[in-house]
This record gives sequence, structure tokens and C-alpha cells, in this order.
Amino acid sequence: MREIRIPPSQAIVAGALAFALAALAVAAPPPPTNVVAEDNPWDDGSALRVTWTSDGTDVAAWRIRRTLGEEERRQQRERHQIEAAAQAYATALAAAKAAGQAPEDATQAATAAAQAAATKAGGDTLDPFMFVGIAGASDRSFVVEGLDGESSYVVSVEPRGADGGYGEAAISAEAQPAQQLFRGDRLWFGIMLFGVIAMILGCVVAARNGVKMRIRRIAGLDAIDEAVGRATEMGRPVLFIPGIQDMDNVQTVAGVTILGRVAKTAAEYDATIEVPTARSLVMTACQDVVQSAYYEAGRADAYNPDTIRYITDEQFGFAAYAAGRMVREKPATCIYMGQFYAESLLLSENGNAVGAIQIAGTGETSQLPFFVAACDYTLIGEEFFAASAYLSREPLQMGSLMGQDMGKAMVMLLVVIGVICTTAGALGSGQAQAIADFLANNVLKS
Amino acid sequence: MSSAGHRTYPTIDPNSIRWILATDCGSTTTKAILIEKVGDEYRQTQRGEAPTTVEEPFADVTVGVVNALTEIGELAGRRFIDEHGHIIRPATEKEGCDIYISTSSAGGGLQMMVAGVVAKMSAESAKRAALGAGAIVMDTIAANDKRKPHEQIQRIRELRPDMVLISGGTDGGNTQQVVQIAERIAPAKPRPRFGGEYQLPIIYAGNKEAAPQVREIFRNGFDLAVVDNLRPVLERENLGPARDKIHDVFLEHVMAHAPGYDKLISWADAPIMPTPGAVGDILQRIAARDKLNAVCVDIGGATTDVFSVFDGVFNRTVSANLGMSYSISNVCAEATMPNVLRWVHLDMDERELRNRVKNKMIRPTTIPQTLEALVFEQAVAREALRLAYQQHKEFATSLKGVQTQRTVGDVFTQDAGGGSIVDNMRLDLLVASGGVLSHAPRMEQTASMLIDSFEPEGFTTLAKDSIFMMPHLGVLASVHPEAAIHVFERDCLIILGTCIAPRGEGKFGKPCFSYRIVPTKGTAVTGALNVGDMKLVRLEGETAQVEIAPERGFDVGAGPGKPVTRTAKVGTVGIVLDARGRPLQLPATHAECKPLLQRWTSALELYA
Amino acid sequence: MAKAYTPGLKVTGRITYRVRRSLPIHGEVLVKVGDRVEATQVVARTYTDGDITPVNVANLLSVPAGDVPGLMLKKQGDLVAAGEILARSKGIFGMMKKDAPSPAGGVLESISSTTGQVILRGDRQPVDVKAFVTGRVVEVIANDGAVIEADVMLVQGIFGIGGEAFGPIHVACKSHDERLDASHLTTAMKGAIVVGGARMTVDALRKARDLGVAALVSGGIDDQDLKEFLGYDLGVAITGSEQVGLTFIITEGFGDIAMAERTHRLLSSHAGERASVNGATQIRAGVMRPEIVVTLAADAPASAERHFAEGSLELGAPLRIIRDPYFGRLGTVKRLPHEPTVLGSGSKARVLEVQLDSGESVIVPRANVELIEG
Repeated sequence: MREIRIPPSQAIVAGALAFALAALAVAAPPPPTNVVAEDNPWDDGSALRVTWTSDGTDVAAWRIRRTLGEEERRQQRERHQIEAAAQAYATALAAAKAAGQAPEDATQAATAAAQAAATKAGGDTLDPFMFVGIAGASDRSFVVEGLDGESSYVVSVEPRGADGGYGEAAISAEAQPAQQLFRGDRLWFGIMLFGVIAMILGCVVAARNGVKMRIRRIAGLDAIDEAVGRATEMGRPVLFIPGIQDMDNVQTVAGVTILGRVAKTAAEYDATIEVPTARSLVMTACQDVVQSAYYEAGRADAYNPDTIRYITDEQFGFAAYAAGRMVREKPATCIYMGQFYAESLLLSENGNAVGAIQIAGTGETSQLPFFVAACDYTLIGEEFFAASAYLSREPLQMGSLMGQDMGKAMVMLLVVIGVICTTAGALGSGQAQAIADFLANNVLKS
Repeated sequence: MSSAGHRTYPTIDPNSIRWILATDCGSTTTKAILIEKVGDEYRQTQRGEAPTTVEEPFADVTVGVVNALTEIGELAGRRFIDEHGHIIRPATEKEGCDIYISTSSAGGGLQMMVAGVVAKMSAESAKRAALGAGAIVMDTIAANDKRKPHEQIQRIRELRPDMVLISGGTDGGNTQQVVQIAERIAPAKPRPRFGGEYQLPIIYAGNKEAAPQVREIFRNGFDLAVVDNLRPVLERENLGPARDKIHDVFLEHVMAHAPGYDKLISWADAPIMPTPGAVGDILQRIAARDKLNAVCVDIGGATTDVFSVFDGVFNRTVSANLGMSYSISNVCAEATMPNVLRWVHLDMDERELRNRVKNKMIRPTTIPQTLEALVFEQAVAREALRLAYQQHKEFATSLKGVQTQRTVGDVFTQDAGGGSIVDNMRLDLLVASGGVLSHAPRMEQTASMLIDSFEPEGFTTLAKDSIFMMPHLGVLASVHPEAAIHVFERDCLIILGTCIAPRGEGKFGKPCFSYRIVPTKGTAVTGALNVGDMKLVRLEGETAQVEIAPERGFDVGAGPGKPVTRTAKVGTVGIVLDARGRPLQLPATHAECKPLLQRWTSALELYA
Repeated sequence: MAKAYTPGLKVTGRITYRVRRSLPIHGEVLVKVGDRVEATQVVARTYTDGDITPVNVANLLSVPAGDVPGLMLKKQGDLVAAGEILARSKGIFGMMKKDAPSPAGGVLESISSTTGQVILRGDRQPVDVKAFVTGRVVEVIANDGAVIEADVMLVQGIFGIGGEAFGPIHVACKSHDERLDASHLTTAMKGAIVVGGARMTVDALRKARDLGVAALVSGGIDDQDLKEFLGYDLGVAITGSEQVGLTFIITEGFGDIAMAERTHRLLSSHAGERASVNGATQIRAGVMRPEIVVTLAADAPASAERHFAEGSLELGAPLRIIRDPYFGRLGTVKRLPHEPTVLGSGSKARVLEVQLDSGESVIVPRANVELIEG
């Protein structure tokens, strides 16, 4: 390790300064004792924990400083050199100009001066410590964060007196932060995660073993048969729009899952299904899903990929197409499942005007009111994502849905407890406040 | 009623009618009733019965009719049949009658096959039209019935329907699949049941734009009639024209080919109707007149018919294999023996019972001789009725595929279309008919069977059709409504009483409701019932003022926990207070059920 | 009133039996009036239309339905083999043509330009109608069938499963109340009509099927055994078309019940003779009961049993009680009281007094007895 030792001269200077200050302020706080820097346990190797002892007299706060890491030191030196060079350049340039030198010569001279200054500055001794933070008077430990695991550090702890003056610093031995397998501050997060996982797994196992999982009726999904039936009787197509986002959007994925079910019903009823898409990848995915739905329904011969088209990426270009299509073709059924923005009302109002049964589903809360008002059925937020479990009734999916719901219930419970405790704390219950603080600082912080 | 068939019927002056004869030619018995004008009102005075004579050795339905009418004549001391075996008309002071009318379900009634595009839409409308006209629907073919085309064709070939009703597509809607259905039916050449010679009648009531193609397909070898679309738009059902056409075709083709029916048609003063169609007509008339919601059940040996009118919408279902003799074994198979045994308060051996069930199936005419046999038969009846009513509720729905208007306020209350329109809480009148119900030794048994299987909620009047007169009155209503209504009210229905049952569930033993019953005659009765209790209140007089104050969570019509005061009919049994909760939950095992059953049985004095 | 109408089952040593043998659809009658026919001889034959296979050519070719007639390679009425190309699309510039192969063989019956559907009809299937009884043709109904008449021994059962079967009568149970068990059946009974006594067990049924017995006849069967053998719970008594590899008939009813002694004696007296049986039962409009028929030799003696007027309940008439609590008991009519009587169940019905064969006499509703007709 290089340059970790504090040069004696500086120590003397510091010591003298402290002494002087102490002499000025009659009661300069005494330095802490037993300053120890060690690796902060259960973290990712970016922090040291410094502890010290002190009788605490006259101390208003503790100033914590540390030495620099290797990289930091390099950067500091570079900065110092650049500053020196810039200053030298400016000084030299001004001097040369004042001396009436030609601008080229002046520049040259200034450059040379800058280079010299930089070289000289490279040899300067720099302040080895940087400020980290202030610890409270009663604190006897501090976590120094934002360190580099590759370097060793020395931490300095200085007491600050009531008058704002600093007492003598005490420094720790050199210490290097180390990385552990787990981060302790994420313990509660881990507990909750495992809790939810256990619930999901438990529910999946239970579902597989034939435990009945009840899933609330979702009218919008039950209405798919009816909606496709209507299209069949009226001899008109079913229009399905899987949102205007790409396949990386979870809502699009959910929409395409539902498309599979709609397509299967359409195949059974021998109804036409049209799927305009706003992304080319979505078109391909939809074609795949619809084709396999037709195969599943045993109507492979009736599958026609031409009805699943890419229109445009442009939001309103797409909306204009879809609206125009509705007016011309008058579909008997329109289904919107995916991410929608401002076009939601354009589409659903048009669908309503042509007399179609409309089913919408989106996780985009701002669009829900428009869909609810204009459509026959609307899947709201979570309902939309639960659709695939609802439609398949597969134990695996049902179980995971159930488990997720239990997880959500757990979080809701914590929130409710927190609210109650905070309220009670505000009314004067120390115990309740402690629970609220614990929740806020430990459980939720993680 | 349309003027049907190849004969025109005389216009009848209602005021000149004094003597009315009506027959109903069932599969086994021909039942005749005589209606006379007594003073200012019409009363049913005599009835007669004779075996139906459609099959060999007689092969002439009129033989049975004449026998039944002769019996009535003997009872009434009046001659109705002349020496040539004809009905004497018009009536004179001493002999003859003014009108003769008839219904028929002989030879298995009217059997139809229906087809549509979507099973839950046009095919269901077609089924509703056929059932409403009084037919038995043998099968429903739809584009999405999950059968492969060749399976459908195979099925069509196996059936021998009397006629076929095809629907599908709204007007201007689907053509392709309607034509496809027709294309499947035509080459399959379903053969009519009666006579190999006559052409199978087909009624087309689908998309009018597809009619020319359908005509083309059925050009040869079929007798096609095109009527208005059953679903001109999905939002509306138009069953009338198809239903009338079914009646016409029934008379012109089906009846005309059954033995002796040509004669019967010429005798009758009104078109002969299929028996269930006539029952539906009278029920609709009564419901419309009194603004009632009514359900009528007819449990027979082979089938159980359920009719309902809710808010003026009529529905009928036939549960083809739920009956008390030919189909009794099927009831036990469908309901399962443990479910049947839930209703038995005695100890019985299951293996022995299974054999008895089969023996009843192969010897359908036998009657229970011991109490034990009667208890078991009534237990089976409860399950048959429960299943039939369940099927009815599933069928009697609002239209599907209809666009709905919503507001933002509906976010959390989006109901799917096609919900059942049968609501027990709104049911006012429940009518029972059919052997096991109308011939039960005690009226209490009939009432109890109705309550256990239909689970009426709130206030429900229970009645039975004394001698299954509703078919006769249904036809009579088409020529002389006044007489039909008179007889229906005075003689047809026997009011059993009123069932009062709150909707809601609770733990047995917890308080359910308190009551105060003030009869028109006698003293008031007050008390309270706990969940799981039943009580029979016997009263004098025709009606009673009943106040019910339900506990929280129980609803007798005004909402949970809200008290209700209503006038209830007392009838022959009285007022049955049923605090078992709705939906009715019985323990799963016979051992657990038995003590409860014993309690209820003695509360209602069922087998005293 | 000394008489009452009640239906019954025929068990008779000699009767002139007429049977009408009809084709399900019109066809050819192969016999003429006066012909003597054997039971297994075919008297009429016809062909049913072949199976129909619809092929959606429009979808197979991805063309509008209206184009289909123009793209057909086969004409209406052409014979098509499975896999043969029915139609071919025009493709793009003569390339990427699509074929529509035929999924089944048959005659091309129709081509639709509305649905783009082509209908193929498969080969005709022959339908034969046998004489059922050995006898004489007394009437021929053109295109439909024939009426065959013979003097026979006739036993009607109450319930049967399976269709028509033929074979010699083989008596397995010596006594009318002996249970028919698997141990009664031997390989010698292959193709025979085996007569048992009381209840037939499911083991007996299974063994009979494995041995290739043509038919089993016995007094009763337990419902549980029937369910096990059929694999489902029989709901409605319309039978005859079951494919269970065996025809069986019960003469009395369900449960552990012995065959009527007279029936057993009658069947035993024809042991070794060829019989025709039909298990088909229909207990609804158009009642059909299972039958065992043996054509008698021309010189067989007439039955010496006393005759009662058909279908009427008279004093002394032999009968069977057909409902619990006396189910299966045989006896004679002792008294026919006029007035309806209140039964144990509480209902009123007309009754009769029966002198049971065992000596005691009981009162039963008239609906619960069945005449043993002869």
C-alpha cells in the first residue's frame, strides 16, 4: 500500500494547529480513544464501520474523515495538476500578453509554463483526508460508505466542541472493506421475498393436490364466448387490438395471452378474427398464437394469417387505421387488451358507435375510466394480468396467482399496521412509535 | 293462435256456449273433462278417462276419445256420442255439447330437431321456440357444439324427428354458416318418424338473406317453410312466427299422419295443440292477467316439464330423462343415490333400493304399497324436480350477445349477459302436477316436495293442478278465454298454502325470524324460528295477514333484515314457515341428514 | 267386477307367432310368400347411404368460397379415392399453387359456392334383416320386409340387454331357484343359449362372454352386477343396441329372484333345440319385451295348460306380484274387492287378494300384479 502513512511534518502541523486551537478555546474536547475501522459486516464490500470510545465531555458532534482510495487519489492528483496547470497557463499568458509578445509566442510560453506547473504539482503533497460525514454526539460508531473494495483506508474521528471548534483527531489503523455473501440491510426484503415465494409454491402444490382455488368471476373474460358468438351470428369480424406497445411490455404479453383464448373461440365458432398491430414483433407473436389456437381447436384449415397485420408504429396513425376499419367493416366485437394511451377513447367510442360488444383490459389506470364508460366489459389492472390463470385454470397458474395475492395481502397488512402505529405514536404511544420506526427504517427501507 | 291446417274453424259466440268437452290424448291415457255453464260461471263438472288407442290393435286415437267421452256422458247423465260414434253437436237441452277441443301428446308428442349457428344464441332461440310450441327437442345442432361435421351428420341421420327447425344469423348477418348447417342436414336426409312416404317438414327461421340458398338446398325431398327470423337482431327474439308455424306443421303433417288424427282434427272446434304448448298458453294468460311470476311443473313417468313466466317472459324446458317410472333409474343415476337418500328419514338398504328402482323402471305402472316405498319414491321425486328445475334455470336466461351500456359507476358490478331470469324470491305461484305430486296421499307431502326441490324464497303460493286440467284449459282459452279462466280459478288449482322462507344462510340453531300471523278467521299466531326449523301453521279462512321480521342477513323480499307484511293464501295445508335458509344446505351423509329429516317430517306432519 | 285389465308377459308352450321383419329404409325383399325360412336366413337387404365427409376446400386453398367451383378438378358425381386432389388453386403467376386432397374416398356429392364446402359420400353399407324365427313367410311387404309365421314356444322376459342371438338351448341350472354362477358355465356352452335359475352374477356374465355364449337367460340380476358388467348405470330401459359381446335376459326382475318354475320347466323341456332370442327391451310407447322363441316341430303336442282370457284379471288367474314388499312372489287371484282400500303408504287404491303359492294370502294393489299369460 502506498502513501497511506501521514507524513510526519503534516502530523506536526496538525498537532500544532490543534494545540493552538485548544489553547484558544479553553475547553477543547478531548480526542476519542480506541478508534477502530473494520469491515462493515453483511454488505457488498463498499463500507467500513468505524467505532470509537470517549467520555463524551464537551463534544457536540463527531467529524468523520477518511483517506482516499487509490483511484480517488489518482483523480485528486490529476485534478490538482490540471488546476495548477490552468492557473499557470492563465498567469503566463497574461504576463506574456502584457509583455507584448506575439500571440503565438504567448501561447507557447503559457503552455510551457502550464506543463512545468503540472509537473511540479505532481510532486505536491495533498491533503490525505476527505470529509465523510458528521456523527451525533452520542454516536460511537459510523458507517463509512461508498468505498472501493480494492483499497485500504484510514478513518479519522474528530470531536467538535460546542463552540464549533474541532478537537484533536484520532485515526484508526488501516482497514480494507470486504464483500460478504449477503447484504444485511436487505434482510427484511429477503424475508418477504422468501415469504411470498413460499406462499406461491405452497399454493401451487396445494392446487396440484386438488385443493380447490376459487377465483373471482371476471365478467369480461366470461363474456368472450358471448362476444365471439355475436360476431358469428352477425357474420362480422372480431377486432382484437393488443395495445400499441412492443412485446417487451408486460401488458402486451398479457393481451396476446388473451388473444390465444379469443382466437380459439373464434376458431370453434368459425368467426373471422382481425388483429391490427402497431409493432412488427407483436404481429409475429399474434400470428403464432392465433395459429396454435386454430390448431388446438382442430380448425387448422381455417387459419388465415392475412388478417393479422402490422399497421404502423405511429400512435395516431394506428388509431386512425383502427377507427377507420371499424367504421368500414362494422365489427360485431372489439376487444382491446394491452397498453393504451390517448387512443383508448378514440377506439372504444368508435366501436360503441358501430354497435359492437366491446371488452377492454389494460393496466394503464389513466385509460380505465374511458374504457369503463365506452365498453361493455372492462378488465381492471390486476384482473387483466390474472386473465391467463383465469382462462386456463391450470393449477400452476392458479396457485401462483393465489400466492401473489397472499403476498399482496401481507404488504397491505404491513401498511395498515404502519398507519395504525404511526397514528398511535403521534398520539403519544412510544411503543407504537418504535414499531412504526422499525417498520419504516428496517423492514421497508430494505 | 293462427288458423292452422287444412280446415277452417267456426267462429264461436262465447255467450251461446253452455257445454264444453275437452280431451287430452296422452301417451297412455286419454283424459276428458266436461265444462258446464252453471249460473253465470263455467265449472268443470265431470271427468273421464280411457286408455289411448294410437297403437295397435286399435290404431285410431278417436276410439279412446269416444270411450272417455262416453264415460263422462254416463257420469253426467247426458249423451255426447251418437250411435255412429260421433260427438253430438250443437247441444240441445238433453244431449250433445257446444264445443269440442283437444290436445295431444300421444306417440311421444311432437319431437323436433333444432339447429342454429351459435349454441347459446340462435340455436338456443330455436330450442326455445320449439319447446315453447310444446315439442320435445331431440337434439340441437350448432356450428360450435364441439362435434365434428361428420359426427353431426351421423347424429342427424340417427334421429327421426317429426320436423326440423333451422335458425341462425341475424337478418343481414351470417349466411355462410347457416347454409353450411342446411348443407349438413339435407344430405343426411333425416327420416320422419311417422310413415316413410311423407316429406320431412323443415322450418327455416334464420337470416332472411340466406333463405334463397336454403330453399335451393331443400328443394327436393323436403317440405320447407320459411318464416321470420327468430333473431332478426341479437337484441331481440321473435319466437311467435316460428312457434305458430310449428303448430301448423304439427297439425298438417305430423298429426295427419298419426292414426285416427284426421278424424280428430275434423271433430275439434279449435286447432289441436301439443299438450305442453297448451299448458304454456294458459300459464302465460294467468300470469299476464294477475301480473304474477309463476312456475309450473309436470312430472311424468318419462319426462318432467317445467314452465315459467317471469315478467311476462315464458320459458319451458323438458327434462327428457327425469321421470318417476320409465326414467326413475336415470334420476337415481344423475342425482346419485346418496343425494336421493338425503330426503329419506328412515333406514334403508342402498343395494336393495337400487334393485327396486330398476324394478320400477321395467314395471312402470306399479304403485308404492308400503310407507317405506312411498317415502323413497317421494325422495326420488324431490331429486328429479330439483334437477329439472336446475336445468330450467340454466335455460331460462336473458338473451346473450347483446350490447350493454355502462357508466363509470359500473366498474365493479359488471354482470355478464345471459343470467337466469328465474328468481325464486320473485316467484309468486308454484303449480305442481303429475302423478307423484298430485296423487300423494297427503297434501302436506306435495307441498313439502315442492319446497324441498324448488327452494322457493320469500312468499310463494303453492298449488296443485288437481287432475291436470291445464292442457284442456289452454286450448279452451284460445276459443273461450272467459270459461277457461273461470274453471282455472274455481276447479283447476287446489291451493296448498304459502311457503315463507327467508333467503340467507346461518348456523343451525341461531335465530332466523319472528312471525305474527293474523288469519281472517280465528286467533293470531306469533312465534319465532331458529335456523334449521320448519313449522306448519294450520289456519282457517282463505287468507291470512303475515308479518315476518327476519334477523340480520335473512331476506324475505324487502332486503336483508327488513320486515315484511303480506297477505298469504292459507289453502288446504296452511302456511309453511321454512327457516332452513336458502340456498338449502343439507349434510352430505344420510346419517347426519336423518335426524334433521325426522324433525322436519314431524314438523310438517308429512307421514302422520 | 271380477275382471280387471292388467298387462302381462307371455310364457307359453305353443302359440302362433307372427313376426314382422322390416328394413330400416327401403330395400329388397329376398323371399316370397310361402317360403320356408331358417331363423338366421337373410330375408331382406338394403344399403344405407355412405358416411358423409364435408371438405372445406375454400379454406384448404385459401380462396373465397365463390371461386371453389372454378378450381375443382373433380366434378359432381365423380368417384374420388382418399388422398386424390379435389381442387387446385391458381396460385400467383402459376406458382405456389395449393392442393386440396380428399380426406376420404367416396362419390363427390355436391360443391357449394356459398360455403366453399365439398361433400363426399362414402360407400354404401349393406343392411341385412334375418328371419329371426324358423317358419313360413306369410306376407311380403314390398321394399320393406316380410312377415314370418311359426308355431313356437314363446317366453317373454322382463328385461334384456343385447340384440338378436341364435343357438341351442342349454340348461345350466337344474332348479328354477338356483343361482347362475360362473361355475355353471363350461366350454361346451359356446354359441348356446344358456338357461339359468335365479339371479345371474357378474362373474357368470363375464365368463359367458369370454366363453362365447350366445345368450344367458335367468330369473334376475342385481343392479350392481349389471352396472359392473355394462360399465355404466343404465338410465332408461331402451336396450338392444349394446355391444357387450353377449345377450342376456331376465324373466322376473332385478334382485335375487328365482325364475318362475313354469318358465324354467318350459325352457328345460326344449333343451337342445335351436332357439332365437332378442334382448331388445323398450318400456315406453311401443312396448317391446325380450323374447326367447323356439319353433316347434309340426307334430308337437298342443299345450295342455289352462287358458285365461288375455289381459284380464279373473279369480284363479296365475299372477306375479311385481312390487315390494311381496316382489317376485307368485300366486293366484283369490278375491277382487270392489272398493278402493287404504294402503300402508296412505294412498287409496283398488286392490286384490292373492293366494300365494306358499299358502298365505296377501292384499296388494291391482297395479302391482302381472298376469302370467299362456
